[in-house]
Amino acid sequence: MRSHGHHFLVAALLCLLPAALFAQIDAEPGHALVSRTVNSAPTPSGATPRTPDGHPDLSGVWNALGDDLTGVPNQMANDGISIDSATSSHDVFNGAKIATFPRNTNRGLDTEKAERAASLLRRLGANRPIYKPEYWEMVKNLDENANEEDPSNNCLPSGIPRAGYPSFIGQTPTYFIFIYPGQGGLIATQTMYRMVPADGRKHTPLQDLDGTYTGEAIAHWDGDTLVVDSWGFDANTWFDQIGGYFHSENMHVIERFHRDGNTLTWTATVEDPDVLLEPWTTTPRVALLNPDPHAILLESQPCSERDLGHIVTKEHH
Amino acid sequence: MRAKITSSTIWMLAAMLTAMLTPMAHSAFAQTDNAANRTKVLRAAADALGMVRWSDIGSGPIHLPGIDAVNTMDIRATGTVGQSADAEYHVALAYNPPAMRIEITRKGAADGQSQHTIQTVREKYAWNESEIGAGLEPGKGTATPAMADQKERLLQLWILPYGVVKAALAAGDKTAVSTENGATVITFPLSGSLADVTVKATLDSKNLVAKVETRSDNAALMNLVTETEYSDYADHGELLTDIKSPGHIVEKQAGRPMLDIRVKGVDANNPYLVFPVPANVKAASATGK
Repeated sequence: MRSHGHHFLVAALLCLLPAALFAQIDAEPGHALVSRTVNSAPTPSGATPRTPDGHPDLSGVWNALGDDLTGVPNQMANDGISIDSATSSHDVFNGAKIATFPRNTNRGLDTEKAERAASLLRRLGANRPIYKPEYWEMVKNLDENANEEDPSNNCLPSGIPRAGYPSFIGQTPTYFIFIYPGQGGLIATQTMYRMVPADGRKHTPLQDLDGTYTGEAIAHWDGDTLVVDSWGFDANTWFDQIGGYFHSENMHVIERFHRDGNTLTWTATVEDPDVLLEPWTTTPRVALLNPDPHAILLESQPCSERDLGHIVTKEHH
Repeated sequence: MRAKITSSTIWMLAAMLTAMLTPMAHSAFAQTDNAANRTKVLRAAADALGMVRWSDIGSGPIHLPGIDAVNTMDIRATGTVGQSADAEYHVALAYNPPAMRIEITRKGAADGQSQHTIQTVREKYAWNESEIGAGLEPGKGTATPAMADQKERLLQLWILPYGVVKAALAAGDKTAVSTENGATVITFPLSGSLADVTVKATLDSKNLVAKVETRSDNAALMNLVTETEYSDYADHGELLTDIKSPGHIVEKQAGRPMLDIRVKGVDANNPYLVFPVPANVKAASATGK
């Protein structure tokens, strides 16, 4: 009986073997997945704190995912490419699925391959501003020649809305302080700050303003969403990190900030009837609150451009 | 009333169970084998074209998997287009959303004038443009609906090497992998308005898409029966991307020579290419004109 029982057990195990093999088919031999393989937006947790006047408290250091200007994973997320797991990705703009593949090497890419991949991946998203057709070739050429053409490559301020969400928000009942730390390297930008009144004042007439990098901003609450309305820009910036997205001095930007627990969702809508066929809204970017109550922003890296003179190809990040 | 369980009963049950489960096991093995082979072949084809990419620059502890990094592309070529032996062929394309603009300049007409056409498709819309972006602004060109050509134009997108890999991946377990004359062959159905079309793609020894044939059982879709050969793959961009593109494309449509072109340049760095649908084209589509 015992012998027959063993045979039966072996037969049953053999029948089950295909299922076990099937379950392992996607595993990469000798390649354990690292702890974080996604760049999808963080899930909010905790309650949304409120200020004494009842509005959501947006104050704090919003850099727990890293500054939104640096890092290919963050830049891909800014462009709407959400890698949701090791096998699934999608474009946040229209939900289109993106084929996802396991890495086939543990070795790091060399700089050249990493840069070329970064350049492709940062431009993959479908959410693109629609310029008037007479500017299509110009936008394409500006992006292709970004090494020379991108204003921020010469340590100029990134401007609005290219700066994205601020890394620090200070909040009072009548004004907000936004701080955007500068970055070194080839996406170098200067540190920017904005003091945004929320006291009910109206915009200065556009024709009375001298254009600036951050424009004239005024804020108001739309329910629990802070709306920052800006105009009075100069035309020296691009309005996104990639793409050659130039604008005119008549650009009007409406930013929306919404806090949900420990996350802050930011979008910006760009209106520029001089160059755009229709208003364009960025893919929502979600910042994570720095959980350290004592967190502060460190001093920015100084921006002193020394690379541009040595670039000999059009390749860029 | 209790049944007496003997060793012979156990053996009989084991034999029955084995007889029942063995075909299932073989089937599961076969399915696993097919799925694994399909995954391996499509990954190899995608890798050969340079489609699967990741970058760890500035990523800190985040190590993302590879994703299909091809969306928009601009291709410039010259050669024979239809009856014109000296033509310029300029393609702007996107896969998300699926769209293509083919600009053809035929030289050497009898009257010495060049003939210039712009044929555009985006998802369910097809139209002709008198100039790039015609019909989007008042007084700037004319967009003429061409809905009858929608399938034919969209097919051109999916029979390009990148389209083949994307569509084969999207078709999932409907995609079959086989070997013919020592070459790997991928067969799969297209979807949407091209659901009646089956694609058969043959890979070369480097896993690059060398030949694409399309077939349809629907007699009304004979203009969608194509045979295209791709060769001379290289990174043809001035701005290098490590995306491989064919340098020579030869296409027959319903048995007739359609294209024999040499690629002069490719911008594969997901350039700014957009395909907004003019209002009059949307309106014509809604009324079925």
